[in-house]
Amino acid sequence: MQRRMTLWAWLGIAVAVVWTLLPIYWFLKMSLLTPDEIARFPPPLVPLDPTPAAYFNIFGFDYQVTPELVRRASGQAGQIINGLINSLIVSIVVTAITMLVVVPLAYVFARLDFRFKQALLITILLSVALPPVSTLIPFYALYVQLGLAGTLFGLIVVTLTITIPFVTWMLIGYLRNLPPVERLARVDGYSRLETLVFIVIPLARSGIAVAAVIAFLFAWNEYTYALVLVNGTPANTLATALSGFLFQHPEPSHLAAALVVSILPPVLVAYFLQRHIAEMNLVDPIR
Amino acid sequence: MAGQVTSTGRTSELSNLQFALLMALPVLLFLVLVVAYPLGYALWMSFQQIVFFGGYRTNFVGLANYATMLGDDKFWWSIWVTVRFTVESVLLAMAIGLALALLLNRPMRRPGLIRTIIMLPWCVSLYGTGIMFSYLATGQTGFATAIAFFFGADRPVSFVNRQWVIEVLAIGNAWNMAPLVAFFLLANLKTIPTRLYDLAAIDRMSPLETFWNVTLPPLRFTLFVFTCITTVLSMKLFDFIFVLSGGGPGTASAVMTYQIYKISFRDLNLGYGAAQSFVLLFLIVGSTMTLYALWGRREAAR
Repeated sequence: MQRRMTLWAWLGIAVAVVWTLLPIYWFLKMSLLTPDEIARFPPPLVPLDPTPAAYFNIFGFDYQVTPELVRRASGQAGQIINGLINSLIVSIVVTAITMLVVVPLAYVFARLDFRFKQALLITILLSVALPPVSTLIPFYALYVQLGLAGTLFGLIVVTLTITIPFVTWMLIGYLRNLPPVERLARVDGYSRLETLVFIVIPLARSGIAVAAVIAFLFAWNEYTYALVLVNGTPANTLATALSGFLFQHPEPSHLAAALVVSILPPVLVAYFLQRHIAEMNLVDPIR
Repeated sequence: MAGQVTSTGRTSELSNLQFALLMALPVLLFLVLVVAYPLGYALWMSFQQIVFFGGYRTNFVGLANYATMLGDDKFWWSIWVTVRFTVESVLLAMAIGLALALLLNRPMRRPGLIRTIIMLPWCVSLYGTGIMFSYLATGQTGFATAIAFFFGADRPVSFVNRQWVIEVLAIGNAWNMAPLVAFFLLANLKTIPTRLYDLAAIDRMSPLETFWNVTLPPLRFTLFVFTCITTVLSMKLFDFIFVLSGGGPGTASAVMTYQIYKISFRDLNLGYGAAQSFVLLFLIVGSTMTLYALWGRREAAR
């Protein structure tokens, strides 16, 4: 592989960056437009008079554009702030629990041979395949009986049913590629659990970090269950607060600003993740 | 497979099965409880006619819900839309993911910045992607309209129509999923020792041959796993389509999940909706099984 950047590589990266950023730019632009500009046709390519008003409005602050013109705080501000806090709680708790149970689970499936392995693996795969649309009604019926509808605890449990199978499935593939360290660890007198905790987990830390980010993103972005189970309750998440915007004919700039805000925490997480990807070359590929 | 440990048979230590159960059993119990219950409930519903008006009651109707499906044009149409959407999504996501991974694997300036940018779509939720692409693709607010007017057109350009709406959905879905694919492939690419490329150069391999013989082999298992994952995700996708097109225009993008939602929550025909959701579940499981039989078994055995 060439060591220098060719013209084609530059072109490729340019295309990739435009492909990635265009939809985000279009929305970022919308969040900075004035109401007049949003109503204008054809839609402007760049904001001519960008104002951050919408970002103040969605958090409940008025924004003074000129001495005469004030853009009023959004009536949804309370929902947005509440949703932001709830989403953070749910995502962090779900990520922590998921990682705690998924790492050992994926490890035994990836590295050990035992009876019933195929059958157990298929159970996990089946739960990956379950469409939320078909489990919504049963979950809702159960939650109403147990008093879990509209609670963060209920949402955390149901989100775990999404993250655990999915992240397990991904980690199995990653752990399979680790070098065969178990035998060496046993020669050194490690028990199985010690091998996992002291040898495998440090060796696989990049893959585990990636898995944690995936769990966080799934929890942060979960919408279908939240829509039915917690929408309109104090336990609403940012996702349902946002869709509240969508269906109540909002000012488009408020919707856009709220969406941009909802991307920020995952972006921070993703920034830390990409450093782990850079470290991922610790695996000896000779098999 | 390299790296697997077989049971030594010593009685003082846990066997593989015991250790595996110790690690996996609590999780599996949780999964069975929270997965088997809704599944069983939905199965029961699919054999019932559930009536809300004039007092809630259920009548056992056997396989009638399943029989209704056979003559339901909307049902067959939704299967076709789902298949078309899934195939397009998976092909696009895998191709774009592979291309992004190969790009990111090249030495470049500011790799951290470029990686973070490429990863961005993955941070956007699916309903968020749906909102973004609906504004991006419809005529009134769309990017294509803005560009067309810039070059002197006088009519809006919209892609949310009967002809193109599924492609808009597939592109948006691929936009969202491709970074996930790219980053796992990139992690694989990083494990290829550079000396293999030196050897390929000594052998005077063409770039295509190098790609085929050096780059691709370590990626193949990941490619298989992510083909399965993107297939499953696309087939059970709901919120994105619900937000972007709402199954429309007309029924042009009424995928199975949307159809099930509509039957269950709008028409309140819970039994029929549950029956269709089982068909969807079998389609999802069936397509991953088929992928495994045709492709995955070979990769896993390598």
